[in-house]
Amino acid sequence: MTEPRVFFNFGITDDSHTLSAYRGRGGYQALEKALRTMQPLDVEKEVTTSGLRGRGGAGFPTGSKWSFVDKKSPVVYLCCNADEGEPGTFKDRWIFEHNSHQLVEGVLLAAYALNVRHAFIYIRGEFDLSYRRLLLALEEAREAGLVGERILGTEFSCDIIVHQGGGAYVCGEESSLLTSLEGFKGYPKNKPPFPAVKGLYQAPTVINNVETLATIPWIITHGGGAYAGIGAQNNTGTKLFGISGHVNKPGIHERPTGYPLKKIIFEDCGGILGGKALKAVIPGGSSTPVLKGFEIENVTLDAESVIKAGSMLGSGGIIVIAEGTCMVRLLQVLTRFYAHESCGQCTPCREGTAWMDKVIGRIVAGQGVKGDLERLEAVTSGIMGNTVCALGDAASMPVASFIKKFRDEFEYYIEHGRSMFDGRLEI
Amino acid sequence: MVNLTIDDKQVTVPKNTTIFDAAKAAGIRIPILCHDKKLNPFGGCRMCLVEVEQMKGRQIPACTTPVTEGMIVRTMTDEIAKARKLVLELLLLKHPVDCPVCDAAGDCDLQNLTYEYQVNSNRFTDEKFHHAIDYDNPLIERDMNRCIHCGKCARICDEIVSFGAYTFISRGIEAKMGTQFDGPLNCEFCGSCVSVCPVGALLARPFKFKARWWAMDKVKSVCSYCGTGCQLTLGVKDNKVLTTIYDENQGFHNGQLCTRGRFAYQFVNSDKRLTTPLMKKNGALVEVTWDEALNAVQQRLASAKTAGDVAGLVTPRLTNEELFVFKKLFKDGLGSENYDHSAGYAHSALSKGAVESIGVAASSAVIADIQKTGLLLVVKSDAYETHPVVGFEINLGVKRKDVDLRIISDKKGKLTKLPGAKTYLNIPGTETLLVNALAKTLVDENLVDAAAASITGFEEWKKSLDGAAPEQVAGICGLTADEIKTLARDYVKAEKALLLLPLGLGYPGHTKELAQALFNLSFAAGKHGKEGCGVLLLAEKNNSQGAVDLGLYPVAGGKDAAAIIDGCAAGSIKTLYVAGENLVVSYPNRKKVEAALDKVDFLIVQDLFLSETAALADVVLPACSFAEKEGTFTSAGKAVQKVNRAIKPVGQAKSDFEIFNTLYVNLSGKPAVADPKAAFAEITASVPAYAGLTYETLGDAGVVVVPAMTPKFAVAPGAAPTAEVGKMALVTGSALYHCGTMSLYGEGPMHVCPAGYVEIGREDAKRLTVQDDDLVTVTSAAGAVKLKVKVGSRMPEGVVFAPYHFADQSVNSIASGESVTWVTISK
Repeated sequence: MTEPRVFFNFGITDDSHTLSAYRGRGGYQALEKALRTMQPLDVEKEVTTSGLRGRGGAGFPTGSKWSFVDKKSPVVYLCCNADEGEPGTFKDRWIFEHNSHQLVEGVLLAAYALNVRHAFIYIRGEFDLSYRRLLLALEEAREAGLVGERILGTEFSCDIIVHQGGGAYVCGEESSLLTSLEGFKGYPKNKPPFPAVKGLYQAPTVINNVETLATIPWIITHGGGAYAGIGAQNNTGTKLFGISGHVNKPGIHERPTGYPLKKIIFEDCGGILGGKALKAVIPGGSSTPVLKGFEIENVTLDAESVIKAGSMLGSGGIIVIAEGTCMVRLLQVLTRFYAHESCGQCTPCREGTAWMDKVIGRIVAGQGVKGDLERLEAVTSGIMGNTVCALGDAASMPVASFIKKFRDEFEYYIEHGRSMFDGRLEI
Repeated sequence: MVNLTIDDKQVTVPKNTTIFDAAKAAGIRIPILCHDKKLNPFGGCRMCLVEVEQMKGRQIPACTTPVTEGMIVRTMTDEIAKARKLVLELLLLKHPVDCPVCDAAGDCDLQNLTYEYQVNSNRFTDEKFHHAIDYDNPLIERDMNRCIHCGKCARICDEIVSFGAYTFISRGIEAKMGTQFDGPLNCEFCGSCVSVCPVGALLARPFKFKARWWAMDKVKSVCSYCGTGCQLTLGVKDNKVLTTIYDENQGFHNGQLCTRGRFAYQFVNSDKRLTTPLMKKNGALVEVTWDEALNAVQQRLASAKTAGDVAGLVTPRLTNEELFVFKKLFKDGLGSENYDHSAGYAHSALSKGAVESIGVAASSAVIADIQKTGLLLVVKSDAYETHPVVGFEINLGVKRKDVDLRIISDKKGKLTKLPGAKTYLNIPGTETLLVNALAKTLVDENLVDAAAASITGFEEWKKSLDGAAPEQVAGICGLTADEIKTLARDYVKAEKALLLLPLGLGYPGHTKELAQALFNLSFAAGKHGKEGCGVLLLAEKNNSQGAVDLGLYPVAGGKDAAAIIDGCAAGSIKTLYVAGENLVVSYPNRKKVEAALDKVDFLIVQDLFLSETAALADVVLPACSFAEKEGTFTSAGKAVQKVNRAIKPVGQAKSDFEIFNTLYVNLSGKPAVADPKAAFAEITASVPAYAGLTYETLGDAGVVVVPAMTPKFAVAPGAAPTAEVGKMALVTGSALYHCGTMSLYGEGPMHVCPAGYVEIGREDAKRLTVQDDDLVTVTSAAGAVKLKVKVGSRMPEGVVFAPYHFADQSVNSIASGESVTWVTISK
């Protein structure tokens, strides 16, 4: 293995998640380095230089996000978004389970750069082992003087507060996460104001994904320039890709950005189950538009390439769909999810997601009627761009892209009252 | 200021204005369902989507997005119309569209927008909801099938009312506006949620099926309950007041009302209204003609004038114009100075306290100061209950303007629960001592404002505080000296600080001295005569401030209310003219009042109802309610506001103005006051603060008058009531839902709070082994009443509370006008 690894750089054993193991492989040296030799602004500069883009899905440049925050504000908060709930995405869980300390170190480095005294980790409520591993890591770190008052004997103090989510997908949306953290029902907030100006408890707030923050120790150790040298030009570094669906070896892979999508499916994951042909790929978590098998021919795993192909890199949760899968029924899984997870605050999403699920359900039950597809398209276009948060978009994009790409299957289903394909969706 | 273009129109608005408000200022209407100007933006309905040149690709919600320099906004394009239409179609998916039987029809935003956007068919279909309709309470009907999730009810209840009765429960399409544990509504029933509901999901039950919205006349008026002076719009049809209509542009309170304003208008058309004059014949009151009744009254008054044994008690619920003629009748027609209102003490803080302290019988602050101040010290948490809408202003001040709220009170209340509020629980009746101790702290710690020394009476006042030091009185007041000192320091150090004291028949302890002690404190701290500073004395009734302004109390040697009652008992007052007062129930010491009235030779009572007092009368004259007359009320915040006639007099009732005027003409031989307008002109000529006002200048908005003030330190000694061993301290006051005794004829308050009660703290309840709704006997030296128990966490140990409004088992049967009544409670 020649290319550098930010995450997959150690062997997993029974105690590889502990502080001593992490320290054994150089853990917390980035923090030492930053606190002793660097000014907060230097840390930010390194991150900016690295070209690191947010790993949660939107891919916003991290250094730029940090630069929006008024560090002189009496209070600045940092929230780690660990509410990993996008179907097909399971990379953050890997970090928590195997290397929580790397995240803790990343949080501390970000907190140092941003003048944060209290950082929050909002962790998905369903994560159990992750939660326990994180608490263990924090306990170890606190005892070792790495978290809390006067970290490593310096002037820098930072507490990390862990908050478990209550089981709402929408709380992975950053502003709902803040609302939830504040103790309210997890409703997204209208923007502006953006969290960088008025976020948690009305204070400037930075919200970063787990993977993003966990990457920072590497950047500080090796320098932003070294990181920028990895992967694609405008979307640097390595990234965790979670491949699920009809592949022989599903799982997490760390690859430099710009890595060919086909290669990860056919080489790293051992190809399609049962040797079937590739029908479609959802490249970045369930909300990104689906790509047909032939469309991924030259796609590489970086933001620009995937966008060019008509989808988004998103969170890097790649869902692989084999030939013979009924796209109508597959879509129903997604519409059911989004209808269930819509928070209900704004009209288009609340009414629209429920109605779309109902209609897809009706089609699947063999009771679709002519005009359903046109109406579905009308609703998706009415939801997209018109909702408080991105959940409405996330719910509409699969519907719109499935119908666009596989219209014949839908029409067949409506006309005949049954699927074009026999057998069940094999996962 | 920010410059932007909306629909090709150049607009300049202040920073932080939303696109919606900027458009509104430019006269451009953007449709919206989830917005109310009083509430924080929500952005839920997505009707207000607009296009912004600089933010292409998404449609932008106008209600939440602040304007930026150079922004180019288009409020209507094909795309926008399409998006809005889709929103309406989606909202109508689940909505029952039962407009023909919906009371909101005609006043429904969803209906109006559906019409405007010509949604004559829906591309989508879905099953409707079958939520059970909540009929669990008598005032607010909740039909969640009609709900469009604008969240306004939850937001107004949280942001302004600070009760939090509603919240969204569940998620997505299953989300609905729910209550605590999805149970029945159990709140203050102010009806704010009904006011702002854009559809018919929340309805006022008393108005159900009464009239179509468009069939009603809408008449602007002023609420006739408490002194807050909320403006109302009455919905009138067939000479009946059927409802109050919400208008977010009315008054300082933006149309916000409490239970009384919203749900207690029914007294106007109550079946119990007096419709003909009555005279006592053979021991019973029988209907007579106006001629007969007025002749009898006139003859009696003419002879009483000669004998000089006449007195009058008038309610401050009448208009300024009526009070003015009443005073004329007494002074010029009867040659008597024996008139008063509200038992005398309910206004002494103003008529004696303020007069001596600032030279005029008024507050040194206005209601708007509440939100402008830095620190607000409220004496008695009941300010929320006596003047609920002032309470809302306090809520808003605390939540939005970071007002530091402090409360000195003998019990906890709603204000106690506001964020950051600090309550100093004092032993009842020690308020004056406590306020003096605050002042003494300023003196001892050299925190007195430099300018204070030049105010008349400073040295004498300073000397009078000897013995008032926190260490000396803390124990008596039930606080620690440190608490008192900290409060004093915080008060003086705040850049702006306001003192607030509610007045009323239920608060005999809120005396002249307490008011003066507060004024002194404000002078000493340099918190006088500036914005957000001063003392706000909240007069109890709708026109209490007007009655005081017009001098409806004995100034030149006449008898005050107490002396009049004594005079009746002693036989020196033989003719008593009571206009609107129900002294049997509301004045202290019922036994004494009843005995006095019994002794009066001739009792004239002029009222809307055959009250307990009217039942004792020789002649009863039916008067008009506020809805039947024209005139002005002056609010506790000194806003002079116009009352408009909404309906014709009920039955043969005549306005107090007309009755007083007739008697005045016949007894004085002088010409009549032509009409209320003419009376107002005379008022403005005689009351300096009102100079220059006319009905025209008052307009719909009213005018806040600011009288000239001359501060003066007045010595205001306090004394602690002597505790009686083994007894509990009964404090009386106002219940949230009631005001005086008139609200007993309002359906709303009577549904929610139909009878008197005694509120007892949990510890005491345990000790007395009583629970909610147990009937207990409350016994004082004056007598005993049986009241239902209400157990709560508001009362400190050893203190109980009872509201005074109720005629049956009335609290004045046991309370005699002392600040504290010592009672025993037994099952």
